[in-house]
This record gives sequence, structure tokens and C-alpha cells, in this order.
Amino acid sequence: MISHKMKINGKYDINASSDVIWKMILDPEVLEKITPGIKSLETTDTDTYKAVSEVKIGPVKGAFNGNLSIKDKKEKESCLLVIDQKSKIGNVVAEIGIKLAPSEETNTEIQYTGEAKLSGKLAVMGQRIMSGVVSTLSKQFFKALEKEIENK
Amino acid sequence: MGKFIGKAVKRREDARFLKGAGKYTDDIKLPKMTQAAFVRSPYAHAKILSIDTSEAKNADGVVAVYTAQDGCGEYGVPCGWQVDFKNGETMREPQHPLLAKDKIRHLGEAVAIVIAESLEQARDAAELVEVDYEELPAVTDPKKAMEEGAPLVHDQWEDNAAFDWCIGNDRAEVEAALENAHHVTEMEYINQRVAPNAIEPRSYIADYDVNTDKWTLYTSTQNPHLIRLLLCAFVLGIPEHKVRVVSYDVGGGFGSKIYHYTEEAILTWVSKEIGRPVKWTSDRSEAFLTDAHGRDHVVHSKMGFDKDGKIVAHLTDEYCGMGAYLSTFAPAVPTYLHGTLFQGVYTTPLIHLNVVGPFTHAVPVDAYRGAGRPEATYLLERIISKAAKEMNMDPAELRFKNFIPPFDGVKESGYQTQVALQYDSGNYHGTLERGLEMLGYEDFRKEQSEARKNGRLLGVGISTYIEACGIAPSAVVGSLGARAGLYEVGHVRVQPTGKVSVYTGAHSHGQGHETVFAQFVADKLGIPMDDVQIEHGDTEQVAFGMGTYGSRSLAVGGSAIIKSIEKVLEKGAKIAAHKLEAAEEDLEYAEGKWTVKGTDKSISFGDVSLTAYVPHDYPEGLEPGLDYSSFYDPANFTYPFGTHIAVVEVDPDTGKVDLKRFVACDDVGNVMNPMIVDGQIHGGVVQGIGQALLEEVVYDESGQMITGSYMDYAMPRADDVPMIETDRTVTPCPHNPLGVKGAGEAGAIGSTPAVVSAVVDALSHLGVTDIQMPLTPQRVWKAMQN
Repeated sequence: MISHKMKINGKYDINASSDVIWKMILDPEVLEKITPGIKSLETTDTDTYKAVSEVKIGPVKGAFNGNLSIKDKKEKESCLLVIDQKSKIGNVVAEIGIKLAPSEETNTEIQYTGEAKLSGKLAVMGQRIMSGVVSTLSKQFFKALEKEIENK
Repeated sequence: MGKFIGKAVKRREDARFLKGAGKYTDDIKLPKMTQAAFVRSPYAHAKILSIDTSEAKNADGVVAVYTAQDGCGEYGVPCGWQVDFKNGETMREPQHPLLAKDKIRHLGEAVAIVIAESLEQARDAAELVEVDYEELPAVTDPKKAMEEGAPLVHDQWEDNAAFDWCIGNDRAEVEAALENAHHVTEMEYINQRVAPNAIEPRSYIADYDVNTDKWTLYTSTQNPHLIRLLLCAFVLGIPEHKVRVVSYDVGGGFGSKIYHYTEEAILTWVSKEIGRPVKWTSDRSEAFLTDAHGRDHVVHSKMGFDKDGKIVAHLTDEYCGMGAYLSTFAPAVPTYLHGTLFQGVYTTPLIHLNVVGPFTHAVPVDAYRGAGRPEATYLLERIISKAAKEMNMDPAELRFKNFIPPFDGVKESGYQTQVALQYDSGNYHGTLERGLEMLGYEDFRKEQSEARKNGRLLGVGISTYIEACGIAPSAVVGSLGARAGLYEVGHVRVQPTGKVSVYTGAHSHGQGHETVFAQFVADKLGIPMDDVQIEHGDTEQVAFGMGTYGSRSLAVGGSAIIKSIEKVLEKGAKIAAHKLEAAEEDLEYAEGKWTVKGTDKSISFGDVSLTAYVPHDYPEGLEPGLDYSSFYDPANFTYPFGTHIAVVEVDPDTGKVDLKRFVACDDVGNVMNPMIVDGQIHGGVVQGIGQALLEEVVYDESGQMITGSYMDYAMPRADDVPMIETDRTVTPCPHNPLGVKGAGEAGAIGSTPAVVSAVVDALSHLGVTDIQMPLTPQRVWKAMQN
């Protein structure tokens, strides 16, 4: 049987120290700015947010809302991003481990790996293109993060 | 053969179809008509925690929003066939609500209906309905559904079995014969779920008229009267005379439009609530999620042979998924329409089949072209071909050895099978001999071994099928659990001018009834085809008829029309005798007139018709008019058979199958229109090729469908199919007046195992003995590597 769980993994080099990156990705104001399609990000608890977003890539188009939380934090090293988003075209439940691996003094490789579970139209229509969608969204996220770091 | 019977008369209905002028349900636009959209579950199995429709109700153009809480048809849609457990326990029959109330049981199950002024507004508002679900573990594999601890589809029973049924000889006796057999061939495989993919998606319009307190339901169905009966008496509790069901042109059914769907009932309910007509047409995505699928059998089978290759016993266990609820025909398909064909065309003395029918978290299955017989044929024809390889025999020779000898059902009696049925007439040697001749079998075998030396992978596959159609004798199917009779009605209304309107309870959704029925009516009455009009599909025009499925239209529906024609001619003869001042027995009827034998005194059909309606000079005591309706209940099923042979070449590098030739020699009894029979065979063969090579509905382990569009579900296209070479032998049906057997499903029944056996044959020298359908390049390539 083919698994409906979509593997998500990749890495991205950013010209900044793990210290800087760590602070940035835990800052809801920054997250709100750099996450693609995000409309609002509201802190509901420590490291827990209510997010509203709109995503449109190819045939995948929908307004998502639900929770984002960051767990298992190891200062400047790693954390687990837990996503539970609902939309009319289906729901996404994902757990993505994020690791910061300093490659040089001013350079960090961000490694991410995890799984997303899709349902509804997202699964029926979108599974073929979802990995492409996720990779595009991640690139957008990291580019925006890079820009944000440069601007600081 | 008559003037029209047996001739390739071009199809009358094609003029409108080819011009895009067909009248399909979605083409109908009524004044003040509203549009519906459904809110459907994104989960296969979930609890419904809450539904909030407030925002949707206030959206632009919205007329109404309903959920199960609004009390629409709480008993739900019924099942039409009861298949009990072999231990006597009654079939488990869950309620199938029109809208899910507390629980979701398959992906795409409807939880709310939104009615709006326009389709766009209905769909936009449907997105505003907030449903909170708690997702639960799901099971979609029929065998896994019966494992200990599998998630239950219906909580009121301790396991997922809807029934556990068997047919044939005593199991212990069959097992013992297998123990003692010289050779036993074993197979385990899945006859995969397929989606019906009619070109016209399902479409319904319900229209309640407050002034007459009557409903009209326009529906793309194969059986309008059956829908009316189920809708009225079982679902909504409306008196039947208050509902008219109309089904004009229907763009393909393949069995999936037999089922009385929840959407038909809920639209009918809604129309009275809102006092306006309401339409819903499925889109292609909804069709994948909600049209009844076909097949879904998990099979384990053993066939035993003696040292000469004679079959001594056949034992099979199957798990046949029902889906989340029981559709109209679902329980019958893998049991009485399947197990009863396990004799095949062979003299197998001992047969036993056990079928467990589990509920799964998937859309319900129902009949799909062939309905149970393709699954039986697939098993028999594959296991015999596999056995031939194992015993180092030629697959044609092994078949000849085991065939039931020819019998015509008149001089020789019918053949009594081990699995309840009695075949009407057959000559199984005949089609295989002709099929091999058409192919040039011996030359092909030489070409194959030459090709192998050059690294080319050629293979041939043979299938010698039989099926049961012309469904069916009412008393027989009643004793087998059918909750309906399966007769047909045929009404011949002779107009005063001698023109003829024929009303049939059969229903055409692509078959060509308007042509074929007119051919034999015109011939039997000796009048031009232009003088005959065939009407169907309107419950207020046609008496209670059973619709079309199981290749029954001509064998059963045609026979009912013949009965009425006989009555017309009998009465016509009385009128003619009076007008000609002759005795009835001195008259003969030919070419549209009654003639006094041996004289030139005659009277035409038209003059007799006019006399019947202007009865001034008329036989004493005879009623005026020339108008007869008859019901025909067949004496037996009909049993078409044939030989299908496929030739393939497999690409050694990619595993891609190239279907090079397809030979079909079918015997469908007498043929009314050879062009239409060829067309039916072509269509069926291509559907069978689709299942063999391309098609499969795949649910993942949480019940999400990952083949829900044409990006992921492969349909056969023109370049997947070679020119299909057809021929026929003719063994008439001995028990119906036209001697016809039916041709609608034969192609889909015979073709699938021929294609798979051909691929296995091409790879047999690599040790390949079987490949799971569909034979995608990936699967074929993998099989070659092992």
C-alpha cells in the first residue's frame, strides 16, 4: 500500500550564525513576516501560535487555519515544528524536525526532516504535486529569512 | 434473417449524440431552478463533533442549507439483494443515511447540502460550512477488514462481515479431492477496485409541484422504475403515483447507475422543502469519490487436476469488499452473480467457493460491466492458463480437454452445473477452434520461439469465458435473495394510422435500443422501420419495468415486446378476417398485410389499424383499439460464451506491454444487428483491457483515495488498443422468442484474463507465473527482475 504520509526533507545554507537564526525563527513577528502566504500569526501560548494563511501554487489553493507549535527545543541546535492546519481542500498534519548545523563561523546549514499527513482534496488531487509545493514554500521561507537577517 | 433483423442498420440515436444534441439530465433547465452542492468528508472514518452552517446560510444567493439534523430520510437508501450467512444468520444491513449524522464511514460521504441560486454560489457557500471531525483509524482492504482488531465500519456488529456465504459442493469433499489430485495449481491475487468512469457524470433534478402535489425526478439512471420504487416506498415514504421519474439520454452506466444513490433522494426531499426545482451534477472528482466502484476481491484459489489434465476439483476463498454501506446490488455481485459461474465452460465435478463480504471504509461497490462474472472468468481462465504452464501443456489443449460437450438445449437438455445454474445451450469447442484459426495459433507459437531467440518477448493469452445474462427468472432470483422481480414490460401501441409506438421498460444508456428494437418490431410487423418509434425512460409513459443491466434488454425486454406484437397480430387477424369475409385460419400475414391464402385478396396493417380505432364495420364482440402491454418473465438466464485471445509484446527494458492483437470470437446467440454487437464487444474488450493494464482505485492506509483524478487513474486510450478482430458462432438461446443471449458485457468478461495470461506467457521463460493487475510497466519490469 502506498503511504499517504509525505516525506519532507531538505537543507538550506544561510550566511548567519546559529545564534542569530535561532532567535529569528522563534520570534513570532519574524515568522509572520517570512512564512509564505501567512495572513496572521497569533501567540496563544508559549511557542504555540494560531496561524491563518492562504496558499496558492498551481492547482493547490486554499485558506488554512490552525495551530503551529514549536516543541523539543534544544537551544541553537534543534526543535520540532508541529503543524495542524485545516482548510476546505483538506487538512495537513505535520511534524518537522529542524536542526541547525554550523558549517563555518558565520554560516549555518538548516536541515529539516519530517512527515506530513494529508487528507481530502489535498490528498486526492494534490499528492502528486505536494512535494513540489512544499519544496517551493520552504525555499520561499528560507529566502525570506535570509533577507530578514540581511536587513537587521 | 428478415429485412432488418441481422442487418448492420446504422444507429438512429447517433445523429443526436454526434451533434451534441442528446438530452441529458444536466441539459435540462427548469424555471426557478436552484443548484445544490454537497459538503463532503475529507476523512474516511471520523466522528462528526459539530457542524456549523450559520455562515453558509447567510452567504450570497443561498436558499437553504440542510444537515442530517433536519430529518431528511433518516432510514436512508436500502439494499436490493439479501445475501445471508451460510450459518443462517441474516445479512447485516446498516442504515445508509442520506447525510452522515454522527459518523463518517467513507471519504467523500456527504454531511450537508447547500442550495443556492447558482452553482458557484452553492459551491462557495459549501466551503463556509464548518465541520469538526475527530479522525479515526480506517480499513479499506477487504481481507484486512476481517483481521482481529480491524477498525469497525459499523459499531453494532462485532466484526466487519456483511455476510459469509458459500456455494457449490461440500467443502470437505472438495478439499479431499484436492488432496488426492495429481497436480494442484494455486493462485493468490487481488481483483482490484476500479472506478466506473461513465462519460456523463451522475446528474439529478428534483421538481416538486405544489399544485398537483407531485414530484418529477430527472435522473441519469439505468432503471427509472426501480429508483421510483426505492425512493418512494423505502426512503421518503411518498406514494409512488405522486412521483414521476424521467431518465432520457444517459451517457454510460456500466452498472454504476443501477444504484439508488443518496443524492437522488435528498434532492427530492429538498425540492418540496424549498418549493423549487433543484439540480445537482457530480463533477469528476466527486464521481471518483462517490460513484459505486467495481470488483475489489481478494482471492485465494486452488484447482486440482488428474494426470491427464482433467480438472477434478476447485476450491476458492474470497474477501469481497462491500465498501461502507450496501449499495442496491452489491451483495449479489460477488455471490449469486459470481459463484454461479464457477463451473465456467468446464466439466469440473467438484466446486466450492466461500465469500466473505466485509464492510470497509471505502465508497460502496456495485455492479460494474459483467458484475461478478468477469471476476469469476478472471480466476478460472488465469488458473487454467497457469496450470497448463505448470503441467507443461498447451493452454488451448488443456481447455479442449475439459470443455463441456456441445448441447443445443432442445434436442439435448441444458447443462446442470455444480453451482445452481443450468446452462441453456453451448458449443465451447466452436469458439476456441475459430479463435485459434483467426489468430493463426500454431504459426504464432513458431514466431514466438524465434522472437525469444532474438530477445523479443512475445506472448499469447487465451480466455474461454461463459457468462449468465438476460437477468432473470423472478422466482429463481427471488429464492436467491433478490428483493425485486426481474421480468420486463413491453408495450406496443398501434396508432390509428398504423404507425407504432413501443414503450419498453429496458433503458438505453448507450446500447442502441432505439435501433435494434425498431429493427425486429418492423420485421415482425412487416412495416418500415420509420413507422416504429421506441420510447423508454419515463415512468409515466412506460409500465413498471426493471431497466437495463446484466445484458438483459433484448433477451428479456425484447421478448416482452414480441409478446405484445403477437397479441397485436392475433387481434389484427380477427379484424382482417372480418373485413376480408374469410376465416381467420385461411389468412396469412406477411409483408405488412393479411392475405387470404391462395388469393390476391388482402388488407394492409394500416387499414386494419384504422378499422380498430374506427370500428364501424367490425367483428361482433371485439373491443376497439390495437394496443397491448405484456410482461415477460424469462424461463432461465441466457449463457453467452466465447473465446478471447490476446497477443502482446513486452519491452525488455521498460516492462511496457504492447497489445499487438486482440481476437474475439463470441457466441451471443442470434444477432439482431452485427454492427451494434461488434460495438458492444469492442467497448467491453477495451474496458477489460483497462482493468488488465491500467486501471486501479488506490486508497492509502487512512482511507484517502490517491487515484482521484485522471492524473493518477489511467483510462485506456486509443493507442492502448489494437484493432479488435471479431467473429461469431451462433448457438441460439432455446428459451426466448428471438433466440438471443445478450452482448453488453461479454467483452469485459472475456478480455481481462486473456491480456494478463499473454503477458505472463511472454515472460514465462524468466520464471514469471503471475503478475498483479493492473500490469503497469513498473510491475511487469519488477516481475522480470525477480
